[in-house]
Amino acid sequence: MANITKKVSWSSRDDDLAQGEGTALLNGATGAARYTRQFSGGSIFRIGRLSTVDLEEEITTEEEAILSRPKEIPHNEKLLSLKYESLDYDNSENQLFLEEEKRMSYMGFRCLEINRWVVCGLIGFLTGLIACFIDIVVENLAGVKYQLVKQNIEKFTEVGGLSISLILWALLNSVFVMVGSVIVAFFEPIAAGSGIPQIKCYLNGVKIPRVVRLKTLVVKVCGVICSVVGGLAVGKEGPMIHSGAVVAAGVSQGRSTSLKRDFKIFEYFRRDTEKRDFVSAGAAAGVSAAFGAPVGGVLFSLEEGASFWNQMLTWRIFFASMMSTFTLNFFLSIYHKKPGDLSNPGLINFGRFESDSVAYNLYEIPIFIAMGALGGVLGALFNVLNYWLTIFRIRYIHRPCLQVMEAMLVAAVTATVSFAMIYFSNDCQPLVQDQAEEYPLQLFCADGEYNSMASAFFNTPERSVRSLFHNTPGSYNPLTLGMFTLSYFFLACWTYGLTVSAGVFIPSLLIGAAWGRLFGILLATITSSGSIWADPGKYALIGAAAQLGGIVRMTLSLTVIMVEATGNVTYGLPIMLVLMTAKIVGDYFVEGLYDIHIKLQSVPFLHWEAPATSHSLTAREVMSSPVTSFNRIEKVGTIVDVLSNTSTNHNGFPVVNEYIDNTEPGKLCGLILRSQLIVLLKHKVFVERARSCLNQRKLQLKDFRDAYPRFPPIQSIHVSQDERECMMDLTEFMNPTPYTVPQETSLPRVFKLFRALGLRHLVVVDNENRAVGLVTRKDLARYHLGKHGLEELQLAQT
Amino acid sequence: MMLLSIPGFLLTLTILDTGHASTSGPNVASPEPEVSGNGVPGSESNVLHSLPRQAQSSYFPSLLLSAFPEDLEVGDYCRELLHIFGQRYVSYVNCLVPSARPVKICQNCHVEFNNLQDIYSNISSEQLGPGNASCRDTLLRSDRLMLVFQLFHDLQQIWAISNCARCLSEGGQSLSNVTLYYMATLNQSLSCFEKHQQQGNHSELCKECKKAYRDLNELYSRMEKNESLCLDIEDAMNITRKLWSKTFNCSFPREETVPVIAVSSFMLFLPIIFYLSSFLHSEQKKRKLILPKRATSHTNLMNIQDRSRSEQVLHGDYR
Repeated sequence: MANITKKVSWSSRDDDLAQGEGTALLNGATGAARYTRQFSGGSIFRIGRLSTVDLEEEITTEEEAILSRPKEIPHNEKLLSLKYESLDYDNSENQLFLEEEKRMSYMGFRCLEINRWVVCGLIGFLTGLIACFIDIVVENLAGVKYQLVKQNIEKFTEVGGLSISLILWALLNSVFVMVGSVIVAFFEPIAAGSGIPQIKCYLNGVKIPRVVRLKTLVVKVCGVICSVVGGLAVGKEGPMIHSGAVVAAGVSQGRSTSLKRDFKIFEYFRRDTEKRDFVSAGAAAGVSAAFGAPVGGVLFSLEEGASFWNQMLTWRIFFASMMSTFTLNFFLSIYHKKPGDLSNPGLINFGRFESDSVAYNLYEIPIFIAMGALGGVLGALFNVLNYWLTIFRIRYIHRPCLQVMEAMLVAAVTATVSFAMIYFSNDCQPLVQDQAEEYPLQLFCADGEYNSMASAFFNTPERSVRSLFHNTPGSYNPLTLGMFTLSYFFLACWTYGLTVSAGVFIPSLLIGAAWGRLFGILLATITSSGSIWADPGKYALIGAAAQLGGIVRMTLSLTVIMVEATGNVTYGLPIMLVLMTAKIVGDYFVEGLYDIHIKLQSVPFLHWEAPATSHSLTAREVMSSPVTSFNRIEKVGTIVDVLSNTSTNHNGFPVVNEYIDNTEPGKLCGLILRSQLIVLLKHKVFVERARSCLNQRKLQLKDFRDAYPRFPPIQSIHVSQDERECMMDLTEFMNPTPYTVPQETSLPRVFKLFRALGLRHLVVVDNENRAVGLVTRKDLARYHLGKHGLEELQLAQT
Repeated sequence: MMLLSIPGFLLTLTILDTGHASTSGPNVASPEPEVSGNGVPGSESNVLHSLPRQAQSSYFPSLLLSAFPEDLEVGDYCRELLHIFGQRYVSYVNCLVPSARPVKICQNCHVEFNNLQDIYSNISSEQLGPGNASCRDTLLRSDRLMLVFQLFHDLQQIWAISNCARCLSEGGQSLSNVTLYYMATLNQSLSCFEKHQQQGNHSELCKECKKAYRDLNELYSRMEKNESLCLDIEDAMNITRKLWSKTFNCSFPREETVPVIAVSSFMLFLPIIFYLSSFLHSEQKKRKLILPKRATSHTNLMNIQDRSRSEQVLHGDYR
């Protein structure tokens, strides 16, 4: 996941930023050419520092000298990266847009609505297909691998030389993981990890570069197959969510920029507003395909992207989820040669908890809550360890070849640890027909028995989870489970964050199921009647929920996902209680894993609410000021200069009246975006040209849509010397009604506006409606509640 | 006859339906001979059943005070079928019980089971016997207990769980060739065991009988793939394996601990080298800080700094 820090966004602006000398600025912030004088003053730089108690001491002149030039610091979590931009969720309601909306008939809107449903159906269908593909390929490849190793082990158990089997296993794992890691590290670093943090950011309104491209999807799918087959401690469920999101973003646009194909459909949906709605549907479809949990999928989208939501969207998303789980179910039933038998709703199948022993009693609830607390503590430990590891990885292991090597090493060590565990385990269990172990290993057990440790290690993680849930009591002894939990905990923690695409859901469930089962067994031995009610399978389920809750800290959606995946509503209450406790206990120590990774990627993420103690801040302190603004009728040369200024990367520009001189801000009359200006320049919409040739085609909204989402960089647009002198009339294209706030607005109020409306720019005006400042996402996201109260994050170029 | 029998049957039904209390007499009475037939050696039950109807009614004068009219009762043909069913049932159970441990039910009892199945299929067939009586309805479905069905169903269940059909030839008349071959192979191993066991040296046994035992195992796993295993074979194999592994202790010993530990520790050592070397040699990634432009326009460049300090004081108060 760390790798996404290497490339810079904004299509081909990479070069500029790479050579920019640390002076790229906030979107829409100040510092354009005409305000150069602001750069000279050294004293303003210290504002960027954390304004915490630590700064109480006097700032000496020496420190001031250091501060006055762009500083380089090691990567840490208290940074905001410049490469992330906001999505334009708020429609630019310019004249073109209004005209088009007026032209559309009632029928037109009906058709759009129908189109939305069609798109959602397609999203569900394709996501289900992808899930089906992953499942089948993983099953077959893993089958081949395990058969090969198993035969080898059987051969060498007899004649001696088991260390060769060990090397073979490690080698096979490394090769698979190498393939998976190479495609991720060298072709699409954004596809690393589970993808849930990235999708969470996208739904939050942050444009993560290349996150919803076709190439990412291909790399993600192949990568996850390789890493699961490679025997890493990973699952294929998290990447499913990312895959669903990419499918959604692709289908809803009706074209693929990567393949250079435009199907000329769904053109209305080519903007961030619509696209994000579909992406949330795709994420839901992904969850639903992964866990067979359509309602859980909807709630996942709701929990992660809840700020922009409406009821109709919920219903559509539910439709997409249902389609996806149905598609997966249907095609898997054909694959398993039982067409029409719809019993495989998700990638992971927890099996059914139906027998009487899995009912729970009132007196067990305190036990469940205690398990939840344990899960919270263990989850926090997992997160802290992974946090330090990730920081180390970002700082030192940033070259792709190193990343590939690391992944291969982890794969080899995973195989080694598993092998050693199996080799030294003395836990032998009789083969039972109905709990058919997929690849039973006998090793030194008596004939007709299998190594119980092998049923946990020598298997895909999904199957191990299922056997922990459902194997009859007594099929694992406590020592086996303890050793397994311990080793798998560290392996999973080590694995998450590698440059492979892989999820953390299944390893968490597996760790939890193992210690939960252990807990159940111990409970049965220490209490007199325990053997009757303490069914190990039940405690394995509760432990799995607790561990997963402790690591990812999802609440509502996770409860519903677990309930749906087990197909047992009876467990609703215990699972909810367990997840609640795990979250409360875990949050006391550290944040959830996904939030940690979002932070470490320096994403300007807006949480549900503004930091609790931020009421004393007002828009005046928060905003970037002074603003780079344009006149209503502006000279082309000026626009080109501002846009191509490498030291600025502004995206929105207030348009003002009567702009007199450089020091006085003008009166606000609109807001125009960089992308719009670029399209205007490209089509040379100049006042002079319009006069000279009257029959020139009028620019339409379609021209803006065709350029979306990869607008060409300013450098690719050639403007001749003569044209520089022309004038451009922005009236028609700017958004004449941007949201504004007075300078005295408090930070939480600004924050609420941003969250609720999905804003990208918020103009701050004084009492004469003069644009004095501009608030962007990064201005808000830099305040966060740290250990010492309100802290300010630094902006960095990554 | 036809005309008579149908209303007669309906009448039986109505009697059974209308009052459970009143019909409880016959309902309770009818299973009784069967129970006694099961418990006591067959001869007695045979006597009971073979009694002609007239005699029977006098045999239980107190219970069947009012004999049912001829047509409502079970016809002679069906009674005959029921009788045969009882006999065969008994002989099948008699065969099953002694074969319970070690399991040999498929080998020993398949003839009995086939007989039982034949008679049951006779009873349950749609065909009308002599006198146009359908025994299916009278014997199998006339009451809520459905005893004949229940009894047969249970035994059939036993047969199905044991997968006995897999070991029998087509039609279930005799053991299949594979099974016979397996038995022969098994005997080879067992006789080998026996031969060497007397010497008292198990390591000798492990060496000598290894081939026979391995052949047996291979045959078994082949049969497992073909799905031609029945419980008899599984059980026999289980016992043999237990003998081999537990009694004679012929499992593979854990011998090469040292090379495994060596290879494992080498593997575990690699990441340490990797991380150390990348820590020492890789250039640490630095981030260039960007300086944000704040409300710096006029006089109060330092204001934010001051303000944020005063805020901290504020926060400090209620923290």
